[in-house]
Parts: sequence; C-alpha cells; structure tokens
Amino acid sequence: MIDILLFAFFWLIATLLGEWGVHAMEARGLYYSAATSQALDGEKAVAFILTMLVPVIAFVVVMLIYTAIRFRSRKSLQFRDNKVFIGIWVLFSIALNILFFVHPSASALEQMFNNEEARLNRHDLIVNVTARQWEWIFSYPQYGIQTAEDSNGNSTLYLPVNQNVRFVLRSYDPYHTYDPNGAVIHDFWIPAFGLKQDIIPGETRLEYVHTNKITSYDVDPMVRVQCAEVCGPGHPFMEAPVHVVSSSDFMKWVQAQRKLEAS
Amino acid sequence: MSANAAGLSGVDTANRQRRRIAPPVIRGLLWAAIGFLVFNTLVSQVIDRQPYDPFVTRVSATVGWAAAVIGWLLGVGAWEVIVRPFFGHPVEWDIPNDWRRYFMFSTDHKVVGLQYIFTTTGSFLLAGLAAMMMRMELMNAKLWVFTNPGAYLTTVGIHGTVMMFSVGTVALVGGFANYFIPLMMGSNSSAYPRMSGLSHWLLPAGIATVFLSPLLGQWTTGWRAYAPLSGQDPSGIVFYYLGVFAMTTSSLLVAINLTATIIFNRAPGLTWNRLPMFGWGILAVSLLTIIWVPEIQMTFIISLLNLIVPFSLFEQTGSPLTYMESFWLFGHPEVYIIVVPAFALWQEIIPVMGQKTLFARQWGVLGLVFVMLFSGLVWAHHMFTNMRNSEMLPFSFFTEMISIPTGFSYLVVLGTLWGARLKFSTPTLFVLMSMFNFLIGGITGVLLADPVINLQTHDTFFVLSHFHYTVIGSMVFTWLAAAYYWLPKLSGRMYNETLGKLGAIWVFIAFNSAFGQMFFVGLRGMNRWVAVYPQYLQNMNFSISMFAFLLGLGFLFNFVHITWMWNKGKPVGQNPWNGKTLEWFGTPKPGIATFSPLPHVETGFYDYSENTPPTPSPPKRM
Amino acid sequence: MQEDSSLRRVDPSRRDPHWSATTFFVVLGLVVLISILSLFLKRPISDATAAMTGTTLNEPVTQIEQYDYGFEPHHITWRAGDQVTISLHNRSTTHWHEMMLGRGYDYTPSAFGPIATQFDTDFWNGIHVTFSGANHVDNLCVNKAIAKFIGPMPNIVTGGNFSPTLQPGGSLNMTFTVPNKPGTWHYGCFVQQYVHYMAGMRGTITILPR
Ligand code: HEM
Ligand SMILES: [Cu+2]
Ligand SMILES: [Cu+2]
Ligand SMILES: [Cu+2]
Repeated sequence: MIDILLFAFFWLIATLLGEWGVHAMEARGLYYSAATSQALDGEKAVAFILTMLVPVIAFVVVMLIYTAIRFRSRKSLQFRDNKVFIGIWVLFSIALNILFFVHPSASALEQMFNNEEARLNRHDLIVNVTARQWEWIFSYPQYGIQTAEDSNGNSTLYLPVNQNVRFVLRSYDPYHTYDPNGAVIHDFWIPAFGLKQDIIPGETRLEYVHTNKITSYDVDPMVRVQCAEVCGPGHPFMEAPVHVVSSSDFMKWVQAQRKLEAS
Repeated sequence: MSANAAGLSGVDTANRQRRRIAPPVIRGLLWAAIGFLVFNTLVSQVIDRQPYDPFVTRVSATVGWAAAVIGWLLGVGAWEVIVRPFFGHPVEWDIPNDWRRYFMFSTDHKVVGLQYIFTTTGSFLLAGLAAMMMRMELMNAKLWVFTNPGAYLTTVGIHGTVMMFSVGTVALVGGFANYFIPLMMGSNSSAYPRMSGLSHWLLPAGIATVFLSPLLGQWTTGWRAYAPLSGQDPSGIVFYYLGVFAMTTSSLLVAINLTATIIFNRAPGLTWNRLPMFGWGILAVSLLTIIWVPEIQMTFIISLLNLIVPFSLFEQTGSPLTYMESFWLFGHPEVYIIVVPAFALWQEIIPVMGQKTLFARQWGVLGLVFVMLFSGLVWAHHMFTNMRNSEMLPFSFFTEMISIPTGFSYLVVLGTLWGARLKFSTPTLFVLMSMFNFLIGGITGVLLADPVINLQTHDTFFVLSHFHYTVIGSMVFTWLAAAYYWLPKLSGRMYNETLGKLGAIWVFIAFNSAFGQMFFVGLRGMNRWVAVYPQYLQNMNFSISMFAFLLGLGFLFNFVHITWMWNKGKPVGQNPWNGKTLEWFGTPKPGIATFSPLPHVETGFYDYSENTPPTPSPPKRM
Repeated sequence: MQEDSSLRRVDPSRRDPHWSATTFFVVLGLVVLISILSLFLKRPISDATAAMTGTTLNEPVTQIEQYDYGFEPHHITWRAGDQVTISLHNRSTTHWHEMMLGRGYDYTPSAFGPIATQFDTDFWNGIHVTFSGANHVDNLCVNKAIAKFIGPMPNIVTGGNFSPTLQPGGSLNMTFTVPNKPGTWHYGCFVQQYVHYMAGMRGTITILPR
C-alpha cells in the first residue's frame, strides 16, 4: 500500500513538472513560428495531445525508475494477474485513443475540410504554383502576373495578410512540355504556415491557408517555400522566400511586378 | 549433430596432407565474378547490343547480377550441399571444427545464427559509418564533405536501405532467433536447415550490392525509391532493387524456416500455452514477413522492369501514387517486423532478471498478435500529404488504435516489474532504456497519426527522429540487451558489468541528446534529404552531429566490449541468470547436438512462485 | 542434421576441408580494398588515368555522350588547327542537357549564395561551326560563333553562351577547326539551376598548341 501511495506521489510530481514543461513550450510556440490560422490549429492539436499524454508518459517513466530502484532489497512478490489494473489499463487506453480520434484528429480535420468548401472560398486569392526541377514558379491569374520574380530572377511569393489563399499546385515543366516523364513528386511546404501538400505529376492539388500575420523571409527564415519531398540532386535548393504584407503593400507589389513583366 | 563432433575429430587427425579445398567464400567471389562477366558481356555485347552503349548497361547489369548471385551461392557451398545431392551424389561437405565454419555454408542453426549476427553487426557498422558521414556533412549548412547533393542523397539511401533490410529486419530474427528459437523450442535443429544455410549467404550479397550501387551511378530517392524520381535517376537504383531483393529473400527464407520450426519442432510438452514470449514474437513477425515481403518484392520487380524495359507505369502518364501505396503497404508492417521481436524480448528478459512471474502473459501474447494483424491497416498514414481527404480519417483511426495492443507490452512488463527484486544488470538497463525510448517514439507517433499535425511534421527531421526512436531507441537497444543477456550462452563467458553499464549509459545519453534535438530542429523547419540548408539551422545541427558522433563511438564501445568478453570474459556456468526457458539447459557449442535426450516440458517458463520447481524440466528420457 | 552423417567417415579421396586462411584473408582484403577504391575514387582515378594518357589526341570525330549527370568522356585532347567533329548525343531518357565550353563563371545571387549560370569566357567566340544531323535538339544558341547548317535546322534561340541543348535521345554534330587557344578549357551543362553541373556534368579539354 505504501508503495502505491509513494508511487502516486512521484507520479503526481512528474505529471505537474511535465505539464509545466508542455505549457512553457506552448507559450514559446510549439511550431516556433505560426503565420496562418492553419498553423495555429495544428499547434492547438499538439498542445492538447501532449497535455493529455503527460500523465501517461509520467506514469510509465516513474514506474520504470521506481520499480528499478524501490524493490531491490526484498524478495520478489509473486503474482500473475491483477484484474483491476489490467481492466483500468485496457479501458483507459481505448478511451484515450477514441478521445484523440474524436478530438483533435477528426475535429481539426473537419475544420480543415470546411475551410476547403467552395462556398467559403469565392474570394480567395488564387496562386498557381508550378513545381519543376528545381524551381518554384508562382503566378497570380487574378492579377495577370505570370512569374513572380525578384530583380535577380529568383521566384518570390507575396501574399496579403488576413486573406484566404488558394494555392493551385501542379508539377510539370512549362518550358519542356515535350517531356511528360520528366516531372517528379515535389512537396509544397511553408514551415511557418503549418501544413504541406505533395504535388503529384499529372494531378492538380489545392491547398488553402488563411494568413494572419505580417512577416517575411527577411525577419523569419521559416517563412519560405521549401520543397519537402526529395526530387533529385537539386532538392535542397528548391526554396523561395515568402512575404506576407498588408493589402496596400500587396497592391504596390502587384503594380511593380506588372511593370517588371511588361518591360 | 553429435555425429558432427565425432566425425570432425577424425577429420582433424587424419591425413593432413590431403589437398585442401579452396576457401568457399573466395570460390564464391570468383564464381560470382565469372558469372557477372559472362552474362553481362553476353547481354550487352551480343544479345542486346546497341550503338553507343557502355559495357555495363541497366539490362546487362541486372542479368549479370543474377548470375553473380547464383555463382556466389554455389561457390560458398550450395553446389556441394544442395545441387549435387539433388542429382543423387553424396554430400561431400566437411566442416572443420574451428572458426572456418562461419565462413562456409552450414546447416547448423547455431552457426547460421552466428553468421547472421556477424553479418548484421558488420552492416550496422558500415551503414553507421555512412550515417556519420551524413552527420558530418550536416554540421555545416553548406556542402563540404560531399561534392554534390546527389552524393549525399546516395549515402542517405544506402544508409536507410542497409539499416532497414539488413539490420532492422534481420538482427533479431535472422541472428538471435535463428540461434535461439530452436533451442527455446527444445529442438536440435531448425525445420529446414539447408534452406536456412542458403538464406544467410544471400545477405552479404545484398549488402555488397547496395553499397556498390554508386558504381552504376547516383540514386537520389532514399530507401523508399519513390517513382517517378526512381525512373529518372542514373542507374545506381538498379542495384538498390537487386540488393534489396537479395536481402528480403534472405528474410523470407528465415521467416519460413522459423515459422515451421515453431510449429513443428517443439519439444514434447511444449504446448502453445507454454510457448515462450520470444517464440510468439518471432512467430508474429515471421507471419508478417511471409505476408508482406512477397508484396514488396513484386513491387520492386515491377519497378525494375519499369526502369529497364522501360515502361512508364509510375510516371506522370502512369500512376505515381500506385507505387507509393504499394511501397507503404509493405512499409508499415516492416516497422513492426523490426520492433515486435524487441517487445517480445522485454517480456523474456525482465521476468528472468526479476526472478518474478510474468504478469498478464495472455495480454502480452494478444498484444503481439494484434499488432501484427493491425499493421496491415495503417500504411496510408505515410501518405497524409498526398491522399484524398476521405482516406484520412480511417487511416488516422487505425493508426491511433494500434497503440492499444502496443501498450499491452508495457502493461505486461510494468506489471512484472512491480514488486520484483530486479537484478540491475546491463541487459535490464538496456531493456528499461529501450522501453523509455519506445515511449518517446510512440508518443510522437500519436502526434504524427493526427493528420493536421502530420501535414506540418511529415518529411521533416521530426519524423526522422520519430522513427529513429523506434529503430535505434527500441530495436537496437534491445538488440544490445539481447547480446549481453545471451552472451554467457553464446560464449560461456560473462561480460564486465561496469563496462556494460557504462556502455548502456553512454549510448542512452548520446542517443537522446542527438535525436531528442532532431524533433525540435524538424519543427523549426529542417526538412529531410538536404545536404544544404538555411543558415539559421546550423547551430542546432552542429550540436546534433556532435552527439551523433558520440553515439557512434558508444556503439563501437559496446561492440568492442562484447567481442572482447566473448573471448576473454570470466567463464560462467550454464545458467547464470537462472532463466527457465529451454535454451539455458542445452549445450551451447555449435556443431554439437543441443539436447540429448530431448527435454520434456512440464510447466510454463515464467512461473517463479514458491511451489514450482526451480527449473521447469529436468531433461527426461522419452 | 542431414549433412553431418557424411562426416562420420574420413575418406582419403576427399579433400581436406581446412582451407587456407592466408588465401582467404589476402583475397578478401584485396576485394574489399578494390571495392572501397572504386567507390570513393572512381572519378579521381579515371581523371588521373585520363591525365596520364591525356596527351593522346582524341579521334577527329569526338563522340560525346551526355547522361544523368555526366559526360562520357570527361576528358578530351585536341590539337589546334585540326579539323574535328563533336558528335553530341543525349542518352538520358528524361532530361535535356546542354554543352557549354569556356573558362571562368558568371554568377547570379540566390538564397544559397551565388549560383553559376554559364562560363564567363565563351570558347566558341568567332569560330566557324558547321552543324549537321540535328535530331531532337531542344534549342541551339550560337552566340558569337559563325554557324552553317547542313540538314534540318534546329530551334535557334538567343541569349547566353554558345550552347546546344538536346532533348532526351537527341543528337547533333558540330564540325569546326580547333582554334589556336591552347591550354585547359572546361565543358559543362548548366541547365536546371546549375544542378547538373554540380552533380558532375562537367569535363575538361586540353588544347595542344600547333
Ligand atoms: C547510428 C546512428 C544513426 C544515425 C546518426 C542516423 C542518422 C540518420 C540521418 C542523418 C539520416 C538522414 C536524414 C536525411 O537527410 O534525410 C538517416 C536516415 C535514415 N536512417 Fe538513420 N541513423 C542511425 C541509425 C539508424 C538505424 C539503426 C536505422 C534502422 C535500423 C536507421 C534507419 C534510417 C532510415 C530508414 C533512414 C531514411 C533514409 C531515407 O530517407 O531514405 N538509421 N539516419
Ligand atoms: Cu524536392
Ligand atoms: Cu507506418
Ligand atoms: Cu545536363
């Protein structure tokens, strides 16, 4: 009995410490940098799961340490069964997993699917993203911008803040369309945006985000497009800076791009 | 096998002057070289001659390779042991009673087990060296060890492939299980000894093929060989498919042999109810192997044909997702093939070390079997970033649910630990560490099973760290636990307890420091397969690399310690841990029958309560 | 167990199974050594042998194969004043490749530091080149060379150095008189953000003085 009490005490302490640690990480930002509502949803899911699991982790870890140290001086007590403990364990693990499936897995996914519903996305900013080996090409059909580039000819992505954005993702080489088997799988990832999407040759994929913070590659290197799926020797170089700017700055940039393309 | 000993002493003394046979391994290499040259030339210069073709083309390399492997297998002894007897000749294959037996075809399951143990250890060190090169490159954000990113990616691919197919899948099954499963079943032989002898020699062939793949050209896909990229890399990937084919065939043969051994070679009285936990674990993974390995072999054969014919099955004009689905259909069961034997070993070692009755044994068995059954239902959790929305929920569901049977292994071990007077030996320490590491791997697995979180962490160092926690943290740590635990049986000698604990603590600290940080570097935006990365990640990567080198040295330390003690350790008695499973009651020496007469099992192996006799089965004449 | 029964009798006509340890270790060691050398030093060794045998002139028709990602051969020797033909052939089934020839690099800035886009000095400036046998040519930029065409006309573009770019499976012949520009020149493929070049698609040409 004393063992159970003592164990429960250590378990409690470890749980509290763990919860404090998770809380501290949460305060710092579990994703380090979150510039869309999708990233915030992801962080919330991580925080929820970790908060719920800390007691479980603490239980196992304290048990491993406690049993390794505590019973050394005595004779082993022999038992092969404990219906109550097994019952609690089995029921609890089933319950916890069902909980996680309902929330956050299914609930957050529901949210994501809703965000993708067409009726909510009539006013999206559309960005056509083309992945070729080993370069991103961004075009803005609503603004007549073919390839968004900086003055050095490197691709850049500009987005207005507080806006739904629909990325239309395709993998092919617009400069070598005679070569259909040259395309490979890429993955469109902006670390600060909290999600990624593989781009499969021959398919058109969509990704929706809602930007919620003014930020840019210049202040935060996580605000970049990065190919996340290996696509050949040039894979590491397949990145492009991202700028999330106010809507007036965005319009200024659009004008400048148009001028650049016209010239 | 008692005959063996009797015969061999004769061989030793009788006419030393007789002409010696050529070393079988050398003969194998020679025949392999001849096979490759003849068939490669035949294909590339005669049958399929094309203008401008080099001497070795993809097609000729494939055919030449097949000939080389057959030459190699015949050369190491299959010619005398399998082919000639098939045509009615007597078996003329004498095995010297010394170290030479490990370098030739053998049908003794103990020799085969040791051969597998050596080969997997060697390939672990080589693939580990590749990992050290990768970590060296990643110390700096720029290219500096490798001259181009493709060379880095080829190294990643070789590391991953060899670690998965020659260490993860093989170390506990081909190695320890080949040695100990027949012993634990109370049998003097595995069910198909000749097939088992053959299976080992496929493994070095496969390892060499994968390591030599850069001779055909770089391949940048990593171990998953995703199409369409696999179809447009230089030809090195051909040797990936071929090498993996050899290694997986080796695993498949082991699985068939061990399944049959467990079913048919059990000693009298060893009922299913009394089957040792390791037996259950190996039965579960062998069935997994038998179900899924043929699937991946077909996938790879189709991919190889896709490449050399060529078709465009998996290109844009075909279906790239089909390859991915087929790969992970096997790929997820594969990770359970790696980790289930480790779960079983925890449940094997802890009761012995605590001299305590195994807690809730039936739940442990249930856990192993259900993990095996579920593992075929979760594969698409590797594909959340490219699947249809409607697929996400079911795969997320099954993936989360698989943690329930996985948890049963913890239930059993923790229940056994409670109140046990635990002998705090090196194997114990490794098992406890392994349980901690798998806990971290499992918790991060629950996070990854959540699709919304997965969309952020997939293809980053977060995932890399997650699966290294399961493969190194649990499987490799348990592998070392098993090595220390069974060392007295394998060698008749004991390791040094202080050095053993030092080794355990060393790798534990280095491992958690290196891979623990990888979760965070992944969350900060470090993606996989990059030799060059943004500057802001360099500090963290530098620190990870330092601990990775420490980890590498730690593994080396443990291997040196084990090897040293194998030869020079303090001799110990038959059963130093006072275990009850049958392997502790047989003769450990290779080449000699383990049990004579066969034992008769009268109780289970995990009951340590007062009223049961200390050893379950004083061998009884039947 | 089956095999062991055969061991019971010692038959003098059978050979001694105690094979030679020396042979075993020496041969195995050699095989391992050769494997390691060929793995890590494939390019340096072939470069070194090329350099040693490099003084032998290449054939007047220099067959150059492009593959993913490299040239075969990657070392060529010509003598100034000789008439030679480069017969360029792209063996890749998936990638287009070009062949530039020159010295020094032009750079553009990128997130990973400057990236080479082409050679600084174009070898072909002012040379008369006759193109023939154009087949699946992606595009051809002749820059400051003086071009003459026999047979089908490839797709001509402007901008940048002299560079023929071949589609997968394409080929092209270029006939010219080696100019008196002795020394070492480089050739390479700069397509797809310099990655081909970095991955090993480069070689050297030694031009001997007249
Ligand atoms: C000895 C310590 C080890 C270290 C330091 C290490 C390190 C690494 C690193 C740095 C990568 C590549 C990351 C990237 O750029 O994508 C990697 C990949 C991988 N490792 Fe390890 N590793 C070790 C042991 C193992 C073991 C024991 C296994 C399995 C049994 C394993 C299986 C893999 C696999 C499957 C990959 C993925 C390869 C791919 O992406 O195709 N590693 N490891
Ligand atoms: Cu990529
Ligand atoms: Cu999986
Ligand atoms: Cu090229």
